[in-house]
Amino acid sequence: MNPIREIWQSIVRRDPLSTDKGKSELVFLNVWLHIHPAKVKRENLKFRHSFYLGFITFFLFLILITTGIALMCYYRPYPPQAYQDMKDLQFVVFMGPFLRAMHRWAAHGMVVCVFLHMCRVFYTGSYKKPRQFNWVIGVLLLLLTLGLSFTGYLLPWDQLAYWAITVGTNIGSYAPLVGGQLRELLLGGHSVGEAALLRFYVLHVAVLPSLLILLTIVHFWRVRKDGGLSRPVWKLKAEKDAQLVTIGAPTETAPLQASAASSNKTYGLMEVVTGKPIFETVTPEEEEDTVFSYPYAFVREAVTLMATVTTIMLISLFFSAPLEELANPARTPNPAKAPWYFLGLQELVSHSALLGGVVAPGLMVLALIAIPYLDRNPSRRPGERKWILWLFTFFVVANLALIVVGTFFRGPGWALVPPWVHVVGGTE
Amino acid sequence: MDRRQFFKFSWGAVGVTALVSAVGVSLAAVIRFLTPSVFYEPPQSFKIGNPGDFPFGPPTFMVEEKIFVFRERDKGFAVASAVCTHLGCTVAHFSSDQKFHCPCHGSVFGADGAVQHGPAPRALDWFEVTQARDGQLRVDKDKVVAPNYRLMV
Repeated sequence: MNPIREIWQSIVRRDPLSTDKGKSELVFLNVWLHIHPAKVKRENLKFRHSFYLGFITFFLFLILITTGIALMCYYRPYPPQAYQDMKDLQFVVFMGPFLRAMHRWAAHGMVVCVFLHMCRVFYTGSYKKPRQFNWVIGVLLLLLTLGLSFTGYLLPWDQLAYWAITVGTNIGSYAPLVGGQLRELLLGGHSVGEAALLRFYVLHVAVLPSLLILLTIVHFWRVRKDGGLSRPVWKLKAEKDAQLVTIGAPTETAPLQASAASSNKTYGLMEVVTGKPIFETVTPEEEEDTVFSYPYAFVREAVTLMATVTTIMLISLFFSAPLEELANPARTPNPAKAPWYFLGLQELVSHSALLGGVVAPGLMVLALIAIPYLDRNPSRRPGERKWILWLFTFFVVANLALIVVGTFFRGPGWALVPPWVHVVGGTE
Repeated sequence: MDRRQFFKFSWGAVGVTALVSAVGVSLAAVIRFLTPSVFYEPPQSFKIGNPGDFPFGPPTFMVEEKIFVFRERDKGFAVASAVCTHLGCTVAHFSSDQKFHCPCHGSVFGADGAVQHGPAPRALDWFEVTQARDGQLRVDKDKVVAPNYRLMV
């Protein structure tokens, strides 16, 4: 036997990909690919069902890890040096501005895509049984994404960073009982200083990414174990309960169906147990409508990955990440604004710190987490869940409106200034 | 409950108690670890200079300390905090209207530090100012005093 071929076959032990067995083995003999099923429902691959937002979010996170590690090689989390290093990255380091821009825009993109992904899952009713818990994991991932953005914001140690974090951590101190202590713990002191920078750095590069990776693994695992992507709404069947197949113990409602075995098919039976499966099952008719993950799902994923990376690279070529002047604790810029995704929060806070900064966002998060448990309506059809769709739309629009007002309509002294009015001398 | 059940339950209770206390103690230790024993920060009580260094009229803004030092004829010295009580931005004192203005969320504090406008939940702090033995003025940020507190020199 050809030695090269032998080495190759010791690494890749599957059959040729031209065979169905090879296509299956590619998935379940490979540790990286076996999070996929060997076959997927054809309808679930449709772009208009999921817009691939979960994948795009994940790929943006991969970009963030890669560029983040690169940036770490030139960054010291210590006040005067931190800003110096930003200037170095901007003017001295080869491809420094490009990497920094990619990191910044991918981070913004991730916030956007996590939010859009949440909207998609909501509007298709995909958080419903048996997927309730994965929605909760998703909300936690949204919070971690925001936490990573927030901690990353301080690291450049410029004016924007300094004051955004001063305002942000002071919002936290309004939390009842533990607020003040929490802030001190987060900052490692009484004000945003070198201890705070170091702690935010540790959170940003170690603690939060680890948590995000752990929860992402759970999130993906649960997608599989809950029966894969939810069916597109347009493929919903009339009676869903009748589709439940009992493993091991045939009942009248769902007789165990066996396909005719033939010599060229391979079956593996892991265990025979009784009881109903908790996940969404595939009916024999639907089985007809499945395709192998290779190449149908993998090609789509690869194209999505390339499109995501290309988009971020193109944006980074033309728009560089902003960097303001060195942090100056003595001079608050006017207006002092948080990053855009926190401007809705800042707008709320400008009316009341406790209500707007702690109570309202706290209730929003709790409500998001509770959605799958409060919404007892089993239907996923938009026509049968009108009022909750309106409610969620109101939540989305209200958040966007607050962000738009905070971003474009607030001038010096947080006064209401329309974007088409130019305020002279509004920076001091 | 028979003997066997009693022991089963007791061992279970001992185990759960041990686990809960271990987790509790570890958690407390972690929180204590993360709370610095020493803050390498500027002291809360510090000298700001001789009384003669400060002019009458508009307050002197001290950048590092984030305080306004007021000196009025026949009344004496008073020191106000420049940290907005809302979210910690640094307020500016406008001599045109004798008020403090916060750039972050538009809070306005009157000449006595009381909230006149905006989301600030309470008035600006006034700090105790005393004269040290060497004649210098000493401010103690840990001692908040009434707005009408004055030090005559």
